[in-house]
Amino acid sequence: MTRTTLKLGFAQLSDCAPIAIAKEHGLFDANGLDVDLIRYASWAAMRDALGSGIIDAAHMLSPIVVASAAGLGPFPGAFTTALTLNLNGNAITVSTALFNEMTENAPETMTHCPLSAAALKSAINVRASLGAPPLTLAHVYTHSMHAYELRYWLAAAGIDPDEDVRLVVVPPSQMVNALWEGQIDGFCVGEPWNNAAISAGIGRTLITSGEIWSNGPEKVLAVRHDWADRHPDLHQALLRSVLKACQWLDQPINRIAAARVISSSNYVGIPFEDIVGSLSGDGHQTAGRLQMDMPDFNVFHRYAANFPWHSHAKWILSQMVRWGEAPADLDYDAIARSAFQPDTYRSVAKSMGIACPDLDEKIEGTHAHAWLMTEASAPIAFGPDRFLDRRIFDPADTKNYAAGFDIRHRGSRLGERDESQALTLVRAAR
Amino acid sequence: MPSESVAPLRVLIVDNDAARARQVEEGLAGDAVVHSATQVHGRVLLDLIAEIGPDVIIMDCQSPDRDTIESLRQVAQSNPKPIVMFVEEEGISSMQAAIDAGVSAYVIDGLTPKRVRPLIDTAIARFKQMDKMRAELRKTKDDLASRKAIERAKGLLMERQGMTENQAFSAMRDMSQQQGKPLKDVAESVITIFGIIGSTGGKDAL
Repeated sequence: MTRTTLKLGFAQLSDCAPIAIAKEHGLFDANGLDVDLIRYASWAAMRDALGSGIIDAAHMLSPIVVASAAGLGPFPGAFTTALTLNLNGNAITVSTALFNEMTENAPETMTHCPLSAAALKSAINVRASLGAPPLTLAHVYTHSMHAYELRYWLAAAGIDPDEDVRLVVVPPSQMVNALWEGQIDGFCVGEPWNNAAISAGIGRTLITSGEIWSNGPEKVLAVRHDWADRHPDLHQALLRSVLKACQWLDQPINRIAAARVISSSNYVGIPFEDIVGSLSGDGHQTAGRLQMDMPDFNVFHRYAANFPWHSHAKWILSQMVRWGEAPADLDYDAIARSAFQPDTYRSVAKSMGIACPDLDEKIEGTHAHAWLMTEASAPIAFGPDRFLDRRIFDPADTKNYAAGFDIRHRGSRLGERDESQALTLVRAAR
Repeated sequence: MPSESVAPLRVLIVDNDAARARQVEEGLAGDAVVHSATQVHGRVLLDLIAEIGPDVIIMDCQSPDRDTIESLRQVAQSNPKPIVMFVEEEGISSMQAAIDAGVSAYVIDGLTPKRVRPLIDTAIARFKQMDKMRAELRKTKDDLASRKAIERAKGLLMERQGMTENQAFSAMRDMSQQQGKPLKDVAESVITIFGIIGSTGGKDAL
């Protein structure tokens, strides 16, 4: 049997751990694959490499796959995934100066956890009344969970992210420096960059993504539809390798070893001490001053984390519609089916004896605590799926959910080309 | 292009590599008004774009700053026009060619590809030229390093093993051929081994 060499792209972030472990523990090899890992410093660069066939698979922002399925951007309809790599994993951090400003303006709102953006709203109001320039907050990519989490958190406190603050995209590795130089006042980013801002004494983490939406999807293992159709065996072998790594990473004791692996210059290139917390979940800052152990800061496998829920894809779509990045008249079911492939996941997981949910989507936001899913090949323990504002997301009603937010972008924020792509898709859906 | 009585295109080159940015700038200067930005990121980069108002942005396709530029696809108050990646228009093969050369280009405000194409071609050529120069420089450096290592290893073999210069060289060349390793690697092994012997007084080593 001839072995095929696959090229897999990844980003310099803590949640590249499943990819790194699959490589370093020989899991690709055990599944008959030779895999070359290629590190990318830009999501656009990784997207283009995947779209044009330079790489076969990618450690990708889940919304990039959904955006492609929704016909947005350069590779409309090209990408898909059968495996979510991790849940949670991001946080919102602001400069110490802004944290102090918030505490001065609205001390009574600063003692709750999860922390609302109410004090930030006060700070914004005070600044506006003084004629000061608006606050600038950064995230990492237009179609990213970081952007949707930041927007969700702001809007839940009455802050319009397109009117009341300036949102900019800053590369993750530049975040801390930009905060230090006062170019931005805060950011939403993955680890190790929140921790780096805290360690440098220049920032305070206000809330983690798991407190905005508990166990929302973060990165996925993205591939091209045409590649997956042509090479179902390679795709399955790839999924088996990475799923095995995710399973291994689920054990708390293995997280320390994993932190050693990803701290190497081949992966994240950050000293072990500075990165271990992002995997172990020990001592995460939240609410600006609390130090909490968050074993689910990154979820790699438990709670059926790797299952590509259509409800996850549809929630991402709902936020794209909410913020004017996609038209509301979409065939939500068709886009979710194109983006996330639960059946492919099931066939791989079942062959490995891993329990799978029977359903493709679930109502999100109804569980504040751990619960047991019985509609599955074997009962599966789930973590909470609550939203910060206690809102319920019914994937059967995505359009109304998106329209139901008081704060949303009523116009279109699409560029002309994206607009025409999206329109084509809407027409096709009819 | 010179026959068209239209204003020259304003081009912004975003490249953290100052030398390459200068190369591309020189290459484009005849056809466009060129600005270049190096080591400028995030908000400052967006402010610069708003200030200059470029028609085309040409950049290293692996640059982390691409994600910042991509955010301009979404219409923002300061940039009322959409941005489209030029190579998209040309299909995947030319996109791949651009990516291989390391170039990505963003075109603002629906310019015709015809007007922009020569700029992109020049940029691609300059990027490739820079790559070639780098490769040559690397080779020169490598050659120099290997020559130094071989000389040093020869010296060690002559001094410690009492070989002549020719014997020392032949010994290393034979080993290089037997093991299928570059002569430089053999020389470095010799240096390493003598380093160990040297540090333990030459008795217990190996």
